[in-house]
Amino acid sequence: MTAQPAISNPREFRTLLSGEAATLADWTGHFDWRRIGAHVAVITMGAGLYGAAMGWWRDPLQALFVGIKLPLILLLTALGNALLNAMLAPLLGLNVTFRQSLAAVLMSFAIVAAILGAFSPLLAFAVWNAPPMMSDVKSTPVYGFIKLSHVVVIAFAGIVGNARLFQLLVQLGRSHTVARRVLVAWLAANLFFGSQLTWICRPLIGSPHLSVQFFREGAFKSNFFEDVSHTVTRFFDDWD
Amino acid sequence: MPPPLGDDPADREPVLNPITAVEAILRQPRRVMYQLRQPGAGRLISSMLFVTVACSLVYGVIVGSFSGGLQWWAAPVKISVGLLICALICLPSLYIFGCLSGAQVRVREMVGMVLGLLMLMTILLIGFAPVAWLFSQSTEQIVWMGVLHLLFFAVATGFGLRFLDAAFSHAQARSAVGLRTWVIIFVLVMLQMSTALRPLLGRSDDFLPTKKRFFLNHWGECIKDAERADRNRVND
Repeated sequence: MTAQPAISNPREFRTLLSGEAATLADWTGHFDWRRIGAHVAVITMGAGLYGAAMGWWRDPLQALFVGIKLPLILLLTALGNALLNAMLAPLLGLNVTFRQSLAAVLMSFAIVAAILGAFSPLLAFAVWNAPPMMSDVKSTPVYGFIKLSHVVVIAFAGIVGNARLFQLLVQLGRSHTVARRVLVAWLAANLFFGSQLTWICRPLIGSPHLSVQFFREGAFKSNFFEDVSHTVTRFFDDWD
Repeated sequence: MPPPLGDDPADREPVLNPITAVEAILRQPRRVMYQLRQPGAGRLISSMLFVTVACSLVYGVIVGSFSGGLQWWAAPVKISVGLLICALICLPSLYIFGCLSGAQVRVREMVGMVLGLLMLMTILLIGFAPVAWLFSQSTEQIVWMGVLHLLFFAVATGFGLRFLDAAFSHAQARSAVGLRTWVIIFVLVMLQMSTALRPLLGRSDDFLPTKKRFFLNHWGECIKDAERADRNRVND
């Protein structure tokens, strides 16, 4: 038996990004620890670099913290939902194993991280051109521009990652309907878990009013959805 | 659809030194594109890098001649380094856009394409250099000179991007949307770089600016300063 080449091979990296569904489906069929390791490495590097660019504006130490936190969020989301995703897929009509579902999710996260990593020099350049983060930063157009740039880049990476995952699911299940169902279920689970992880891992861009820290005080004392519900309640209370 | 690279025997002639590289990119760009795909492309890439640095330094001297003093050496260094940093910052996103659109391009070839873009740009800037020098010596209006240099850069960039587009068309990409998006990013980064490394024209005690600005704000300030200076001159 010949060993599967790892993603460190540039051609395999191109295959991953260009979304050659048949090849990617073959990869998930032949579970290879080296390839999984390579996907994890791409996630760590790509999201790490992007995280560093994100936190750099506040402080170099914040860059280091976010460079660690962002890959952690992606990896923990993939691992935390691995079992659930593997159970949901057959229930919704896609007969894949635990390993296959984990490999597919890691693959899509690796695509997202690779895109984020490629855009990190551009974001770092934008931060380099921004004035230092002062107390009135949130009212400046620069803050708006940098925040919007993050939204655009992350949304683009997310859309591409999910589009590639959808193509892979179609290839695995031979049905658009089943693939759509599984993708929506996986997305819902990942969004639910991922948003809470991101909430815990605040601050990401950072605030000039708050000290640079890995986790905010009370990071484990509230949750994202609780905060959203409070905001909604306050909105309607003010309306009255 | 352009004929495949290498079909014409002229495409297969090796590019051995910087002078041949300049000649090839102006007269036979397909030859450069073909040679970038061959095993010994490192030599061509080095030649292209050399020409880019040399031409940008020469054009930088012309830019610096407007103010003289520190700018004689600061402007060439800033233009040369600035262009290379722009390429370095934008290269990863070009590679990702290429891969996402299914282009069959290796990293080395991508580096060569971007260097081709820079080389063609800087060669054309050398063509504009005598005109730029004449105006540098015969006007004191900084805004006017700024607009003139921007115009020359715009024309040179346009031709450089045309080369990149032609090189990409041989990469079997499914769509050109990624490349078009990247072009916008590249142009914006170049414009911002010109502000981040200011002053390229005009005098300053500092090599680099102490205040960060967005390029549109900077241009606005320059125009206001020029208007103020004009008004003062009229009042005097």
